Amino acid sequence: MHAFNRRNFLKSFSAAAGAFVISVPTARAATGPKARVVVVGGGYGGATAAKYLRLMDPGIDVTLIERGPLYTSCPLSNEVISGAREIKTLQAGYGGLARRGVKIVHDEVTRIDPALKTVATASGGSFAYDALVMSPGVDFDFGSVKGLTKELSETKLPHAWKAGPQTLLLKSQLDAMPDGGRFLIVVPKGPFRCPPGPYERAAQVAMHCLHRGKKKAKILILDANDSFSKKPLFEEAWKALYGYGQNGMIEWIPAASGGKVEEVDAGSMTCLSGFDEYKGNVINVIPAHRAGVIARETGLANFKDAWCSVKPENMESTAHKDIYVIGDACVGGDLAGNNAFPKSAHMANSQAKAVVASLVAKFNGQPQPVPVYTNTCYSVVAHDWGFSVVHLFRVQGGQWVYIKEGSGISPVAFGAKEAPKPVPRLYRKMEVDYADGWLRNVLADSFG
Amino acid sequence: MKKLFLVLAIAALTGAAQAGQNVEGLARTCNNCHGVGGVSAGSAMPSIGGLPRDYLKRVMKQWKYDERSAITMSRIVKGFSDDEIDALADHFAKLPWVPVPQAAAAEMLAKGKETVAANCTDCHGLNGGDPDVDSPKINGQSPKYMELEMQKYRSADFKMPHRKMKKAVQETPPTDASAAARYFGAQK
Repeated sequence: MHAFNRRNFLKSFSAAAGAFVISVPTARAATGPKARVVVVGGGYGGATAAKYLRLMDPGIDVTLIERGPLYTSCPLSNEVISGAREIKTLQAGYGGLARRGVKIVHDEVTRIDPALKTVATASGGSFAYDALVMSPGVDFDFGSVKGLTKELSETKLPHAWKAGPQTLLLKSQLDAMPDGGRFLIVVPKGPFRCPPGPYERAAQVAMHCLHRGKKKAKILILDANDSFSKKPLFEEAWKALYGYGQNGMIEWIPAASGGKVEEVDAGSMTCLSGFDEYKGNVINVIPAHRAGVIARETGLANFKDAWCSVKPENMESTAHKDIYVIGDACVGGDLAGNNAFPKSAHMANSQAKAVVASLVAKFNGQPQPVPVYTNTCYSVVAHDWGFSVVHLFRVQGGQWVYIKEGSGISPVAFGAKEAPKPVPRLYRKMEVDYADGWLRNVLADSFG
Repeated sequence: MKKLFLVLAIAALTGAAQAGQNVEGLARTCNNCHGVGGVSAGSAMPSIGGLPRDYLKRVMKQWKYDERSAITMSRIVKGFSDDEIDALADHFAKLPWVPVPQAAAAEMLAKGKETVAANCTDCHGLNGGDPDVDSPKINGQSPKYMELEMQKYRSADFKMPHRKMKKAVQETPPTDASAAARYFGAQK
């Protein structure tokens, strides 16, 4: 891979192994594995679960079932669309996990039987499990916008909300967009994966246009919501860098002002809300999301018929015993306090570690640990301007508690409250470097 | 009074015990950015495994109590109790320091070595691996991280309490400081 080489990695692993291995299988090796864990889905969540199971207890037999041979990180993929980053810097294969003894199966899961505890795949495989970790990601609801189909999404109206071919398709559409062109970003009703993503994308597209001499370009964010993640930080940056509002390069139209797109016409390249029509040279339609198909078919999506409800102490499904759901498909956090788990890569990685710690304790007859869930998410709005949000959740009294003191967005203002000053540019610039450092490290931590 | 002391002592011990019990799990949440075993995959994130316990404690508490500026860590550590910070410092200090040497051009290394000899050796040693008692090891530390830290030391907008380091950085031209970072980053 790119950022860390295998030699260094193995060196660091062997140096650290002593501190992490909880038990070493001895006589049990002759009688088979301590437990069999099947992981469905090889994104950030699934990869981390598979890796840490082997890291913390090599006596556990781990099988990871994933369709594709190469994972592409969604975080920072907006930089690929603008041309600021090569897509290969976002990619990881499964060789690192295989070297840790994870059995990698490239196949599609077709059926899960929670009673018999088996997983069946398209090519006829069958896998029995003691614990099943589901990390299926999201499924796009193409019916959420009239006129949108899966085919149109793959050809003319890309969502680019799963990094890969659609990221490159949207990039080529942007590259071909003339000066004075209009780039529409259609944002679905939340919750959706990567809450700040659409707004970061608007900034990356604007940066592309500015640098390519397309100064009359317009980026319209048509939003089914009335607010968004890191809003004051985005608005400050948009205004300072690209012009924001009716006369600026970037304009945000919330649902309350007619921003909710009900219908799209691919022929005339027009979006229709109940109030207005918007024509675009490029239309980036992000459909509404729900938990991945296999999670819904297994009866795990018991929250609003769309998301998988799980237990705070270890992410076990509230629908089926011994099935754990992590990543974008699950719902968690302080829902009553309006602080749900954000659907992010870091969150998925953190949830995976919580499941693994619980399973390793369980299979070794040790007391259940109390998990801590963390998140860090960077948004890059120009080559020298970024910001972030961090989250900390603990489990107290069987409930998730959002820890306000350990959470929050980058500063919006600097200095005394009575006389606030703009945040120094060095702060914003450094967050771009931290975003890159975060990416390299979270890829290494999940796939390495 | 005696009773109160006893209650406080028990409370403190319980806090420490709880933090100790969960420290492995808490430390795993650091791996996302700092790597398994505290060995970073590089770029802007530093390796932290094997750094001195007192250094780790001091820096995390300075962030927590707004005595030192950071971009992200100052927000994260505010959610941790002092006991958890102590337990994390103990945990990472016990891990081996694993240098991850980053290659650099010979000319850059020569320039860096010259700068280091003139400005850095008192606290960090000649290759960064044999520092003074309160200084971190920086042999094979990420050069990008070290450059960013020095930008913070150079800026009036960042609270950086270590006076000696601040003075040293501010007296060193940025290109020389950058070469020094590359030099230390290349050491085994």
